[in-house]
Amino acid sequence: MIKLLRIEIYKIFRRPRTYISFGIVLAIAFIIQLAMYSGGKDFMSFGMQGVTEQFDVQGNIINGYLVTYIILQSLLIHIPLLVALVAGDMLAGEANLGTLRLLLTKPVSRARLVLVKFVASVVYTLLLITWLAVTALLISLLIFGEGDMVNLKSDAFIVLLKDDIMWRYMAAFVFAALAMTTIAALAAMLSAFADNSIGPIMTTMGIVVVLTILTNLELPMFNVIKPYLFTTHMIGWKGFFDDPVPLKAIANSAVVLALYTVGFLGVTIAYFNKKDITS
Amino acid sequence: MEPIIQARNLTKTFKGFKAVDELSFSITPGDIYGFLGQNGAGKSTTMRMLLGLIFPDSGEILINGSRLSNSSRHLLSGIGASIERPDMYGYLSGWDNLRIFAALSGKPIPSSRLYEVLEIVGLRGREKDKVKAYSQGMKQRLGIAIALVHSPQLLILDEPTNGLDPQGIAEMRALVLSLSRDHNKTILISSHLLYEIEQVATRMLVIHRGRKVVEGLVRELLNPDETLVDIQVAQGEQLKDKLAASQWQTHVTAITHNTLTLKMNTAQVPELNRWLVQQGALVSAINSKHSLEAYFLSLTNDKAAPDRNI
Amino acid sequence: MTKKWIWMLCLLLVHHAASAADASQVFYALRDKMLKIKDYTADVKVKIDVAHIRIPEVKGKLYFKSPDKMRLERNGGISVLPKKNINMSVRNMMPAGNVTALDAGYETIDGKKARIIKVIPEDEGNIVLSKLWIDEVLMVVLKTETTTRDEGMVVMKLKYGAYTVQGLPDQLTVLMDVKDYKLPAGVTMDYNDPTEIKKPKDGKPKKGSIQLTYLKYTINTGLTDEVFNKKK
Repeated sequence: MIKLLRIEIYKIFRRPRTYISFGIVLAIAFIIQLAMYSGGKDFMSFGMQGVTEQFDVQGNIINGYLVTYIILQSLLIHIPLLVALVAGDMLAGEANLGTLRLLLTKPVSRARLVLVKFVASVVYTLLLITWLAVTALLISLLIFGEGDMVNLKSDAFIVLLKDDIMWRYMAAFVFAALAMTTIAALAAMLSAFADNSIGPIMTTMGIVVVLTILTNLELPMFNVIKPYLFTTHMIGWKGFFDDPVPLKAIANSAVVLALYTVGFLGVTIAYFNKKDITS
Repeated sequence: MEPIIQARNLTKTFKGFKAVDELSFSITPGDIYGFLGQNGAGKSTTMRMLLGLIFPDSGEILINGSRLSNSSRHLLSGIGASIERPDMYGYLSGWDNLRIFAALSGKPIPSSRLYEVLEIVGLRGREKDKVKAYSQGMKQRLGIAIALVHSPQLLILDEPTNGLDPQGIAEMRALVLSLSRDHNKTILISSHLLYEIEQVATRMLVIHRGRKVVEGLVRELLNPDETLVDIQVAQGEQLKDKLAASQWQTHVTAITHNTLTLKMNTAQVPELNRWLVQQGALVSAINSKHSLEAYFLSLTNDKAAPDRNI
Repeated sequence: MTKKWIWMLCLLLVHHAASAADASQVFYALRDKMLKIKDYTADVKVKIDVAHIRIPEVKGKLYFKSPDKMRLERNGGISVLPKKNINMSVRNMMPAGNVTALDAGYETIDGKKARIIKVIPEDEGNIVLSKLWIDEVLMVVLKTETTTRDEGMVVMKLKYGAYTVQGLPDQLTVLMDVKDYKLPAGVTMDYNDPTEIKKPKDGKPKKGSIQLTYLKYTINTGLTDEVFNKKK
């Protein structure tokens, strides 16, 4: 099992395209850092109008913690695509390449192969999230310094003290990793259905985009289904920046994401076990 | 001897199209088993079923007497395969590809064995190159190295000469024969060309539209007495009576105005030629073709199969 | 009989005049006492209790300079204080210039007898009317209720201790109307408990309070304006 996993990870990291994701994360983080460096004040004063009308907010608002939050906010919409690039490729890509049929003539059970490939995608996902943590958090802190963090919610203005933030980021990254694991499982499932990798990658993105829109639409008819959409729970990492932290809701979201992950994987294995390899 | 593989009544339907229909055969140790059929006859589907890639709708496959299923995939460790195109990880070296598939074979394989199979297929020295830089023939040979690396009892080679130039085809043929003779491999090899099978196989199975047409020893099926000889000759009709009166009388199968067709042993062709010359016939060409091939060609209408010129 | 009525009226007038003068005197005396504080630096704790602002209780250094400069420094941290007009100074609840002061009875606040004086400024300013609860024994303001043009009704409650003599409170609480705050959810993409159904907001102003606890004052050290203009 470990040997298989090492092979899969080796295959992922020997491909040039794998590193594109890391480059994209770096580029987006850098662009946002640049934008916040030049226009962060205007951006924030716009968002804080509701508060500054009556209150005087003083201090270093544009600091590393805030910039990191803004990077995460925008990047965690794009990272599903980067996760899908690898996870959506894991079966379909090999089918397309033609190596899947050779792989499956080996005395390895298909369920095990799916699991190993999934775990390899998760390893990639974790590395991507770690990379995100380094580029977003570390570099932002180096450029902007630390400080108390302002968090603008639609109905609240939250200030977190600087000594009370790092653990929130660590927890947020762990949660984001779980959310992206769910995306990896979704992409893996779609990958099992397909014989080329564009389909599952695009479909994964399509599902994430449509469901995210549903999650954010303030329409009563969607409120009924919202708790059942995994996209509603994917942004659970933000809960760690609330005050007080809604631990119960976050735990609930984590369970929902875990269930989706197991469900997607179950379908993948059940389907793939019976699939005729004609590629 | 117990067969390595037994296929019993294999049937597979794709979207209403019967790809393989009640197909049964068995391969015994030492065979070079030729699998002949036109493109789309069901060869690949059958081979994929033998390898657990495609699941039959009905029928079963026994490998060394045990039934192949999702839960008995360990049986596949005795088989090495190269299916259709030799697709590899192009972004990795030949060595890495070989190493990866060796690691999946279910037993530890030392590096020395990897060098050994590279030597056998003639890729030694090129193993560090990226596979995407390989020629088609090199890829085919790497495919065979991968099939061989875990020392399987049986090799399944699906159209191994596909896409190769004439020299590559000859080398591949020599390799297959050497694997059988020098490395004691039992081989299942498929082709849509009879002459390819004929040159290497000991037994053969001809399938058409998923059904068995004929199966048996190649030397029996391709009995030289069963050769059809076509003679291109001016005014063929004028020879009709002379032939009827000659020792060739029983061999004649058809006469048109410029073609005579006789069924005979190929060894008799020079004698026939001399007789024709003695009769003053103007022979422009003599083509011989085995009756099985003729039959096969009639099934396939495959223009790619060349006649053998004598 | 008539004489008696006149006498009584006179008495009433005299009494009224006397007490009115008294109220103004009290107000002016109190204001003068406060004006003696030119500046101070104080270690403070700030607690904000406003529905939409969630910030933990923070410690900091509060700089004040007469008449209305105030700055809370939190060693690079973020501080939130009500805007300049209200500020966290009872002084700003006392109109400048000449006023009309009227007695409005007595009340007991935290066991202390407080004289209520209504103050109406003669000049136009942000303050329309200010009602002061004054402890006449210690000569300090215990509570103010001020109607302002810009901020509506602002209530301030004060508690005294070590700095009673200077008229500086140990604790000051501002109660004010806070306008509702809303950003489009599509922009912030909030995470909320998905199982919880949110009540729609009514958009009306809410009551909020800001509590400032003074730990230690340093008074009249001659703070320069630069302290208040620092970028951070």
